[in-house]
Amino acid sequence: MKNRLKVLRAERDWSQADLADRLEVSRQTVNALETGKYDPSLPLAFKIARLFGQPIETIFDDGEA
Amino acid sequence: MSSLKSPPMSRGARSRSLQMLVGLALGGLAGVGIASAAKAGLMPDPSSLTWSQAGGLLLAVMLGGAGLLVTAVSFSGRMTARAMDPDGNGAPRPGQTSFYRQQGIILLLAGLMMGAPVVAQLMFDPVPHMLASAIMMGLVAMALVQTAFNLSIWTQADEMMRRMIAEAGAICFWVLQAIFFLWAAAEVLGLAPKLSSWDLMVALMAFYLVTSSVLSIRRGFA
Repeated sequence: MKNRLKVLRAERDWSQADLADRLEVSRQTVNALETGKYDPSLPLAFKIARLFGQPIETIFDDGEA
Repeated sequence: MSSLKSPPMSRGARSRSLQMLVGLALGGLAGVGIASAAKAGLMPDPSSLTWSQAGGLLLAVMLGGAGLLVTAVSFSGRMTARAMDPDGNGAPRPGQTSFYRQQGIILLLAGLMMGAPVVAQLMFDPVPHMLASAIMMGLVAMALVQTAFNLSIWTQADEMMRRMIAEAGAICFWVLQAIFFLWAAAEVLGLAPKLSSWDLMVALMAFYLVTSSVLSIRRGFA
């Protein structure tokens, strides 16, 4: 699934480790999310959306629209 | 004429290369040690072992050796951070050393559990009942301790690691149940030799280690 995680992270000048700490996941998880190797669970997707202050649909794109 | 220079190796690549070199060196030393011990008559000639005895011992040495190394590394925050996340910035994260040490203990116990029955069988054939019972009680105790550490790892792991663990289990089940069923059917039909439960256990453990390693590498954990 495509996402704008890397862009949103860069806008805040956060490293992957910074984002990982805020989401309470490993840096590898953040990297896997950004490269599309891993899709987050619903609770993690909501956490990401709340952290960036945006709806889930504007961050993640499942390509169905 | 422009000089062709390869780009400098990334920190992650350097870290992985170093881990591989250490692994190769330790593996080589273990090989030399085993060959020397066999030559000196201190242990049975490896060529006389059954495939599952040899496989069990190989797994025991690999797991036990990895467990010792991981446990030793876990006493340094920087080395732990580098080992757990070769592509990271190397800064230790809270709880990382404890998490890594628990993984080291799990590996070490796995090595001891894989090795103990085979070593006992090779040293005493048959194994005296009292000794066998004592070893069995030790194995049960180690299995319980390892289960506790595995549960601890599960609760501390993030969702991607939990999914990896679950995927490894699922893949192992679906692949091995098909293979074991076909072998069992062939055995019943007299088309394949009988396998012992130790044979099956070694096959299961080897397959699981390969599967979980592949999944870890694909997700960037190695």
